[in-house]
Amino acid sequence: MTKQIFLLMGTLALVTLASVPAAAQSTSSEEGKVDKNWSAPKTPWGDPDLQGTWTSDDTWGVPFERPKQYGTRRFLTEDEIKDRAKRVEQSQEFIDKGGPAHSPAVAELEAKEKGETPPPAQGRYGRGVDAAPVPGHWGEFARRASPLTSQVMDPPDGQIPPMTPEAAKLLAEKQQMRRKQDSYVDWSLYDRCITRGIAGSIIPVIYGNGLEIVQAPGYVSIRYEMVHDVRIIPLDRREHAGSGYRSYMGDAIGHWEGNTLVVDTTNFLGKTAIGVNGDFGPPTSEALHTTERFTRTGTNTIDYKMTVDDPFVYTAPWSYEFPITQEPGYKLFEYACHEGNMAMHNMLSTARMEEAKKAAAGKQ
Amino acid sequence: MRTKLLIAAAGIGLLLSAAPVWAHHAFAAEFDVNRPLVLKGTVTKMEWINPHAWIHLAVKNADGTTTEWMIEAGAPNGLLRRGFNKHSLPPGTEIVVEGWQAKDQSNRANGSNITYPDGRKLFIGSPGTGAPEPKDAR
Repeated sequence: MTKQIFLLMGTLALVTLASVPAAAQSTSSEEGKVDKNWSAPKTPWGDPDLQGTWTSDDTWGVPFERPKQYGTRRFLTEDEIKDRAKRVEQSQEFIDKGGPAHSPAVAELEAKEKGETPPPAQGRYGRGVDAAPVPGHWGEFARRASPLTSQVMDPPDGQIPPMTPEAAKLLAEKQQMRRKQDSYVDWSLYDRCITRGIAGSIIPVIYGNGLEIVQAPGYVSIRYEMVHDVRIIPLDRREHAGSGYRSYMGDAIGHWEGNTLVVDTTNFLGKTAIGVNGDFGPPTSEALHTTERFTRTGTNTIDYKMTVDDPFVYTAPWSYEFPITQEPGYKLFEYACHEGNMAMHNMLSTARMEEAKKAAAGKQ
Repeated sequence: MRTKLLIAAAGIGLLLSAAPVWAHHAFAAEFDVNRPLVLKGTVTKMEWINPHAWIHLAVKNADGTTTEWMIEAGAPNGLLRRGFNKHSLPPGTEIVVEGWQAKDQSNRANGSNITYPDGRKLFIGSPGTGAPEPKDAR
């Protein structure tokens, strides 16, 4: 392996990922158990049939790493599930009714007009756009309460193993660099419409959690909606490409183990994280080797499991798992990421304006 | 704005908004927490672009002139799955926007809350959006 290792922005997000409150939770009631009266469908050529449009929405809000209070317990108790189910209902009600009558912007504006101090920060996330960057009723949510205490399930305590000292040092340097906003290259691959990586493309986020699986004899392909990466996974290859070939999504080879599709992927560039949008979360290197397992456990449920083995970054392999589901009426739509996209322009123009403001203040 | 403002922000809204959220770009990098605003205007067009849609709004000023504002809305595909379509917010529709102005102080704002003048919310419910059903909608 070449020593040119690229590490991603991560620690900050590791902390925040781990702190995602248990709001808007999910998971299929079928998770973890196969109905005895149900048999896995097959394609006309005899492979297990995973085809369809799926979404990881139901795991939105489930913490990535396990909150300490659950210890080695992987599933919520019945009472805890009831609590989570209430929050799912509240989310739905929020979507149906639109939430509070006014944005917090209005209270802030009123205070400003009166020359008063703006209302206190809401929760830990600051005021204004930091407190409510996206109105809740614009997001996509879990449809049912997940029984999972965390997405990470191995090691049994649900905690990602410690990073190697070398990786931790490189990550700290990378984070230092990331504070710059001089150019589009200072923004993430997700911000730049390049990729979310194989993990970021399926780990649930506030919207756009859909993927489509299409099969042909000898191949499985997966198309992810947001940032629209597509993987074409051959089932008949034995060896990965040579080490000179590297890509964001890596070189994938699949095979069937019973009804489970096992996808083994190497040859990554090591530029995407194992977390939200591949942008935030546990970093990766070129040494990353992933194993994904897709097992259909019901008409509308696939159990998805990912094992992360990156000996440069982590002191041990680790895994996370959640169901993806088919939902009535759920469709993928085109994701034209660049067309008309104003976000990059706006972020850079804001950075330049802030620089100019600082420079002007310096001259006074 | 002199409306009596009861912010029931605690409860559900807070619960949801407290979840750390990463959209396709950094909101805090674009919008100014110290510039809350309320705008009432008429929709001139809606752009269905990623990562978030933009609503163009003609806002009448006190001196009789009109200023064009751009309001950032939700992610297009999420709106489509919610049942929103190209007929849902036709030009000429009056809306009220509550949000935060862009940090670069251009006439752009994040639409934190968007309502019709009678208080009905835009972009809520499924499949209905709360928008008036146009006669030519299919």
